[in-house]
Amino acid sequence: MREIKPRSPLAFLLIGIAVLYAVILFIAPLVAIIYGAFKDGIDPIIETLTDPSVLHAFEVSLVLALGAVLINTIFGLVTAWVLVRQKFRGRGIFNTLIDIPFVFSPVIAGYAMIVLFGRGGWLAPPIFPIVFALPGILLAKTFVSLPFVAREVQPVLDSISPEPEDAAYTIGASRWATFRRVILPELWTALLYGIVLTFARAVGEFGAVSVVGGNIEGYTETATSFVFRALNDRNSTGAYVVSLILCLVSVLILFLMNLLRRRMVVSRG
Amino acid sequence: MSIEVLHVNKSFDTTPIVRDVSVKIETGELFVLLGASGSGKSTLLRLIAGLIELDSGTILLNDRDVTHLSPQQRGTGFVFQNYSLFRHMTVAQNIEFGLSIRKVKRLEREQRVNELLELIELQGYGNRYPAQLSGGQQQRVALARALAYQPNVLLLDEPFGALDVKIRVQLRQNLRAIQQRLGLTAILVTHDQEEAFDIADRIGIIDQGELLEVGAPDQLYRNPTHRFTATFLGTANLLDARRNGTNVYWGDVKIPAPANTEQFSGKPVEVLARPEEVALSCTRERAPGSIIGQGIVDSIAFAGPVLRVTVCLLSHDRKNLQVLLAPSDVRDQNIEVGQEVWVSLKEYHLLATNAE
Repeated sequence: MREIKPRSPLAFLLIGIAVLYAVILFIAPLVAIIYGAFKDGIDPIIETLTDPSVLHAFEVSLVLALGAVLINTIFGLVTAWVLVRQKFRGRGIFNTLIDIPFVFSPVIAGYAMIVLFGRGGWLAPPIFPIVFALPGILLAKTFVSLPFVAREVQPVLDSISPEPEDAAYTIGASRWATFRRVILPELWTALLYGIVLTFARAVGEFGAVSVVGGNIEGYTETATSFVFRALNDRNSTGAYVVSLILCLVSVLILFLMNLLRRRMVVSRG
Repeated sequence: MSIEVLHVNKSFDTTPIVRDVSVKIETGELFVLLGASGSGKSTLLRLIAGLIELDSGTILLNDRDVTHLSPQQRGTGFVFQNYSLFRHMTVAQNIEFGLSIRKVKRLEREQRVNELLELIELQGYGNRYPAQLSGGQQQRVALARALAYQPNVLLLDEPFGALDVKIRVQLRQNLRAIQQRLGLTAILVTHDQEEAFDIADRIGIIDQGELLEVGAPDQLYRNPTHRFTATFLGTANLLDARRNGTNVYWGDVKIPAPANTEQFSGKPVEVLARPEEVALSCTRERAPGSIIGQGIVDSIAFAGPVLRVTVCLLSHDRKNLQVLLAPSDVRDQNIEVGQEVWVSLKEYHLLATNAE
């Protein structure tokens, strides 16, 4: 055990700064949102939550975020696998490129998608529209949340000893059976963590989604773009209520992450 | 089930790791591949299991050519140094992994798991996780897992390397008993010569990827053909000499040539004498065997039941010899540090010298 020393004034100052920072940046906004949502009583809340366009916006956010999670889980696993297990030319560059969604402004990413997939774009689809339609939103959400699964799984996969895998092969397990029964169980926690992060990012995205989707009410409008529109329309209760629900989702995700992180520490210790 | 390796070669990048190795292991034999780390012994084992692809050569399991088969198709049992159990599975799930892969029915699996838990003396441990077991217990589970699907051959890669001495000795005797009871053909890789002597039917000495020689433990110890074997197995006193007629000569020393060494006639040889084959005596008359001259006792060290004596020869470039003596010999011959003694060889062997 480390000895606990009496705290110095400097330590008090640093703790104070950290707490103040958290209060101003995280806690105060949360309190403001809760206050805003309830300040006119329960009726406007019920009204907002029964508004078909609000429900539709939530549905678009949720379903397409889950779609992005599905795509990025598969893509992320494959990417992590390739980066860890395959040696090929350009692997280093590929490894760096994975992080592009972290550093790109989502608005620019959305604009690039319009250029690519919009009318007259190089990859404009002939059958159904992507831009200003739901596929575009899925694409945008997928893009901005792309690195999480790959980046969570990659180090764990890298640290797994090759011997249990070799053991499974000698015992007679096929490559697929070995992956499913020997490797995947080792990756579960990291994979879930990556999935949760992916979902959080995909649900919360606004910039790329509003550029590609166009925020068409009752069609491509998502929960976050509803908040934006409600603010413009001076429908502050609607904005507060939807924000509050999104916040609750975030808090839930936060707890889930904390839980998973503890499991990760336990399984690695 | 025999294992036959024919002219097998393997390089990593451009470095040869296994060079033209050929050996046949007979049914029911426990063959120990003995070599220093980096000698290529583990690579050879992995080549046999199919975990690594060979560059050239042939591998036969029970006379069937398996050279180009996958590890799954070869059906060998493999035990790794670090146990490599599936840590998210219980002991029972680990053991029955090979059976569930083969779609064996649940009742039969349970029965087999129980048999194996009994075999490795871990009854009642089926529901534990590997992390709850000691290293020795984990290695026994790894053995049971490799035996569950009744493999053709058992391959063990330094299976006791990570365990402490007492458990190591106990486990290798358990392994030997199980191997003999089940009539398994097995190859065990180790760098521990004591382990090799303890359990091997035959030992193969591997150095820098080459299988130098193969033989029964006592044969390799008493009568090695390679200098490397002589020095790697136990301590070796080596003296440069020449065999002429019926004698071996060096300097003004002449001792009779051992039997069956005619092939060395007229050639430079090395005389090999193990420390326990050298005698030290206070007078010429009392020296047993062939006298090779006088020396001065350099040091005497206690080594349990024996004393380890270093003696410096007065002739032969003042070469040091290692000698093992019983405490009673030391007393009877008045051997003390600094004392002059007669040095004789009770037994000795000849090695071909490569430098001609």
